[in-house]
Amino acid sequence: MDSLMQLLGGFETALSWWNLFYCLVGVTVGMLVGVLPGLGPATATALLIPITFGMDPISAIIMLAGIYYGGMYGGTITSVLINTPGEAASVITCLDGYPLAKQGRAGVALGVAAIGSFIGGTISIIGLAFIGPALAEWALKFGPPEFFALMLFGLVMVVGLMGRSLIRGLIAAFLGLILSLVGLDPVSGAQRFTFGQPFLLEGFDIVTITMGLFGISEILLGMESMYKTGELPKVKGLLPRRDEWKPTMKAIGRGTALGFVSGLVPGTSSTIPALLSYSLERQIAKDKSRFGKGAIEGVAGPETANNAYCGSALIPLFTLGIPSSPTIAILLGAFIMHGLTPGPTLFMENPNFVWAIIASMFIGNLILLIMNLPLAGMWAKVALVPPKLLYPIILLITVLGAYSINNSLWDVGVMYAFGIIGYFMKKLDIPMAPVVLTIVLSKLMETSLTQSMTIFEGNMFAFFQRPISATLIVLSIVVLIFSVFAEVKNKKSALAGDIEM
Amino acid sequence: MIRQNAGIWAGIVLLLFSVFVFWQSFSLHYRTAFGPGPGMFPRWLSGILIVLSLVYIWQSARKEIFRLSEILPKGEGLINILSVLLSVFVFMVIVNRTGFMIAGTAMLFIVLFRHFKWYAALIIAFVVTLILFLIFKPLLGVPIPVNQFGW
Repeated sequence: MDSLMQLLGGFETALSWWNLFYCLVGVTVGMLVGVLPGLGPATATALLIPITFGMDPISAIIMLAGIYYGGMYGGTITSVLINTPGEAASVITCLDGYPLAKQGRAGVALGVAAIGSFIGGTISIIGLAFIGPALAEWALKFGPPEFFALMLFGLVMVVGLMGRSLIRGLIAAFLGLILSLVGLDPVSGAQRFTFGQPFLLEGFDIVTITMGLFGISEILLGMESMYKTGELPKVKGLLPRRDEWKPTMKAIGRGTALGFVSGLVPGTSSTIPALLSYSLERQIAKDKSRFGKGAIEGVAGPETANNAYCGSALIPLFTLGIPSSPTIAILLGAFIMHGLTPGPTLFMENPNFVWAIIASMFIGNLILLIMNLPLAGMWAKVALVPPKLLYPIILLITVLGAYSINNSLWDVGVMYAFGIIGYFMKKLDIPMAPVVLTIVLSKLMETSLTQSMTIFEGNMFAFFQRPISATLIVLSIVVLIFSVFAEVKNKKSALAGDIEM
Repeated sequence: MIRQNAGIWAGIVLLLFSVFVFWQSFSLHYRTAFGPGPGMFPRWLSGILIVLSLVYIWQSARKEIFRLSEILPKGEGLINILSVLLSVFVFMVIVNRTGFMIAGTAMLFIVLFRHFKWYAALIIAFVVTLILFLIFKPLLGVPIPVNQFGW
């Protein structure tokens, strides 16, 4: 009941004209980056952070969160119409969405995806509103050892689940950890790897590195291949046939549950629930041969799952202060820049803020539903901008964004260098998400480990004497052993794909 | 054969990097009177990365082989990538003197002129830069690099 009252209070804030405007801007940019290949939600969120410096924190996060969940909607359109996923979570949608479009049913695929996304997204936000406060209250009992164990678990999950090779995942994670060491040591204040350079004192900026790894590398890859923009199929008839409603709604229900649960597990990404949902739908279907040829459940399930994931993936951020994907890591950065500390105390210390964001997400999802149902055809036209024009424009925006973080060309240079590194990492199939996540998490991990060691007076095994930290560390070890086993047996390809551009 | 193996080359670069960090970590204190010192994390992390790079090199030689010829861009793709890299480099070198309008136009022109007629490329480059300038500076108030005339 308490949550409901606070949520209503949140709506009061979120429904102010300015916040509605920022919500609209956020979800529109989200749709755009979802539609445009070469610009993903992580880069776009990073790009818009400098713009929010002068803004009220609530409006700023409303806008940035809009990009995050809006991107999931946009990616569907290009997957269905031109067989080119705009973002990673929509790769699966191509499998059945594009065949549907070729049968002249593009409208139905988009309609079902939009309805599923709306239902999945809305239910997961309801979950966030009601599970979030309870989880945050429970997390108040966490001390440094529990937080360390939780972050370790999140990292192991990222490394274990992403990419096709455990070794490459680990390399990415350790690379991120080492990069985060540059600058001042948080505990002793000593300078590490600064080589007397003043701009290295504050370490590498997560926003700049994300723009390089995810943005510039994607531009380089896009400029190398220069995809062809083809003809757009006609979008008409947005609703499925009468006999298709029942299986569609069932797939949407299953997708919602899968997506929501996946979001709660630290270290998962929106691609994973989409993939799980697709294989579930295929497995339980009476006629499996329909899949890949235009099965409506193959679009409804995964599209719902990735949107349901989006809302629930914010739960670990809001309640524990732990990001589970690069985009959420950027959001975490934005929280901190605006003087907010995500974690168990957020619900208590900044209730206005939290509830306004949650309320704005309901509104954002409704705006997205309207944008997607009647206006899908219009958005698809954006994808027809030729890449030879699109990529250079994105490049200039990215350079400008990097410069404006600290008013310095140093950041542009760092982004440039990480763009080249990211390009080769993609080619060598080394996942990039662990790099970004470890950079964010490592300072927190180092501090909580040092504090734990002080509490335990140097006894490492004391981690196993506290039930929560012991459980999480044991789980991490199990996941790691499982990943090593899968790697040795060469079975680690099912959940492949670098996640969230 | 080995010289064509991109994984091995990447592994060697990674190994050199981690050995360098490992070596550098010895200039930091491993322990302090209160507990772990600033050198503890760097030493362990780079030590583990050394082991990981060695396993990666071994794996690249035996299991999944990425050939250099498949990884490095070639032909038109290579020229496109080089033009992107050159354009950002030129932007960084000149922007503090020329300001955003000239540097941005030059940057876009370098990437665009091979795909459009030169005058069309110049016009597109200028118009896009101008639009971005107007959106970012007067409208959003975001600091961008400008010359003495304010553009």
